[in-house]
Amino acid sequence: MPFNSLQEKDFIGRLQEQANLFKRVLLAEKGQARSAVLSGQRGIGKTELLKHLFGQLFWKQDRVVPFWYSVNPALLSVTDFSKNYLARFICQRLAFPKKDQALFYQDGISIDDLSLLVEEREAFWAKEILDQYMRCSGDPLDALRIALAAPHRSTLSTGMPVAVLIDDFQLIQGLHLAGVPDQRLASLFQEPMTHRKTPHIISGNMAELQEMPGVSGLERIQVYPLGPEATSSMVLSLLNEHEAEGSMPPLLIRHLGGNPYYLGCIVNRVCEKNNPGEKDFWNAYIQEIMEGTLAHSWSSVLKSFFLDLGQRRTALAITSKIYHTSEALSCQRIAKVFALTDSQAHAIVQALYLAGFIRGEFGTFRAMDDRVLRDIVDSLFMREILAKSAHDLEGHFIEALVPQKETAVYFEMTLPIARDAELIVAQSLEQIGKNLNINQEAIGQLQIAVIEACINAMEHGRGMDDKVYISITAEDDHLEVSIESAGQEFIIQETGEPYRDQEAAKTTGRGWGLKLIKRFVDQVKFEKTKYGTKIKLVKKIERSAGIHKEDTVNHE
Amino acid sequence: MSNFSLSSRSERDIDVMMPKGYINNIGAERLESTSEKFIDKGSKKLVVNFSDVQFINTIGLSIFLSIVQNSLESNSMLCFTNMKKDHREMFEMAGLIKHVKVFKDEKDALDYLNGRS
Repeated sequence: MPFNSLQEKDFIGRLQEQANLFKRVLLAEKGQARSAVLSGQRGIGKTELLKHLFGQLFWKQDRVVPFWYSVNPALLSVTDFSKNYLARFICQRLAFPKKDQALFYQDGISIDDLSLLVEEREAFWAKEILDQYMRCSGDPLDALRIALAAPHRSTLSTGMPVAVLIDDFQLIQGLHLAGVPDQRLASLFQEPMTHRKTPHIISGNMAELQEMPGVSGLERIQVYPLGPEATSSMVLSLLNEHEAEGSMPPLLIRHLGGNPYYLGCIVNRVCEKNNPGEKDFWNAYIQEIMEGTLAHSWSSVLKSFFLDLGQRRTALAITSKIYHTSEALSCQRIAKVFALTDSQAHAIVQALYLAGFIRGEFGTFRAMDDRVLRDIVDSLFMREILAKSAHDLEGHFIEALVPQKETAVYFEMTLPIARDAELIVAQSLEQIGKNLNINQEAIGQLQIAVIEACINAMEHGRGMDDKVYISITAEDDHLEVSIESAGQEFIIQETGEPYRDQEAAKTTGRGWGLKLIKRFVDQVKFEKTKYGTKIKLVKKIERSAGIHKEDTVNHE
Repeated sequence: MSNFSLSSRSERDIDVMMPKGYINNIGAERLESTSEKFIDKGSKKLVVNFSDVQFINTIGLSIFLSIVQNSLESNSMLCFTNMKKDHREMFEMAGLIKHVKVFKDEKDALDYLNGRS
């Protein structure tokens, strides 16, 4: 039920997205609302966003009726689905005027009882729909059409628009007639989705949704990972909920990539301890990816796409190969490496893509930009293919993950897009250099490069929240500064550089930024991220006993 | 409070500018306008003392192009002094260093320019 969502105070970092959706749906009143699909990685919070939208529509306005439907995989025969969809719609439509929550819990209501309820409420519009449904009950396809059209028909009869919010929409593909699945049944949703007074907002597994008829044409609304500030607030809120105190290590927060589901799983596990420390958080993470809710959820996805054990093992081996190969792999290459036919390789890779384990670009396949999923793939591969023991796995992950935090000193900050904000980072670097006794010449050069990168990020990064996210990691032999902004620029695959600098270079004096950055640091990497674009600057360092005197030019 | 300030002084026929802090577009534009004023009143010897310059960005650097160009067009001699090694590298990268005289410190520049009178 949509009412079982997080409390408003714990629904963090999504207020703007919720407000935009709310506004969008209210356009139904003027007959101008369009259907849309929420897009984003698993666990990013699409369902929660939809639930909160429902709550807001139900409690805080009386102009557009919200209808919530979460597709139940156990009710996918056309007859069961139609009845359930129609009964739920009528109950929720009747509940709306007086905010009668009790009507939401009439899950198993029979058609006869529904008729009685409708008569009791004198809902003639519903009686008409129900009568028609009962007349057609001998023809499951007609019954399905009537159920799907019910929100639109109620709007025509009552003048009250309906916002249809459907979660797990990809499961609709499993609709079947007499046990025979037929993907064309899902296409019956296309027509109801076109009405501007009954917009449908749907969510689910994006890879599967975009293959469905009618969905690929819908506007896609991206649900982004939480930013660093929202992530920290969420961790705090989750810990408070468990009445626990503690602080998640920043490196682990970064590792979780702003995914609320991942954050929730780790906090739930770590709160089995009182007042958890840094080590407890890392241990909780390692347990989660080895045998916790996180591991089980991804493992279930894999099982649901590969029922046969042998095929699942091959799929896992292919996934691991893709995750440990730097370049994208084609189906032909995968077929060759795993001694499969092209069509076998294609079938497995397509299923992995639909399951959300890999991403596809122009016929080649890469790892997802998700460090947690990478760890889970490693864990599954080592356990199921290499038959490693739990002890070996734990040792592997402790070595791979935990030492990072022991050797590294990590700082992060969020800059507003404001005049001279880049100096904040430059000055911080100076202090970090002093604290860690880093050669001042190296710091000075890194400062110049960072100033340029920040200016670039601020100049092109106006977007989601007008902020630039900075992280500084000091390792034994190098400093790494990463600068991330919402600028959705395109990166040239061959060079990894953004297009915009090529353009800027055509103007006199501009375009020196990247040249300067490359001159003053040892490594520059560009990444297209879920949030926007990230540039990573790496500068080799030497620790000095004291601070070097400033170097000045000796000339003429 | 601004991250840039500029002071200047004249010693006989030499005009010295002393920028301080962060030379971004705003700082460089102030330097440009001050140097233009000196050139307009007939100055042929200009010195920019970088000793208190903390950072220069490429937008500021690009405005130095105009400053150098103005001095060349008016046959004025432009000298840079007290430059940090990294700042000098920036000017080299921009191809500006060949058009100016660079000195270790202001005194060397003044001695050189006084010898040219």
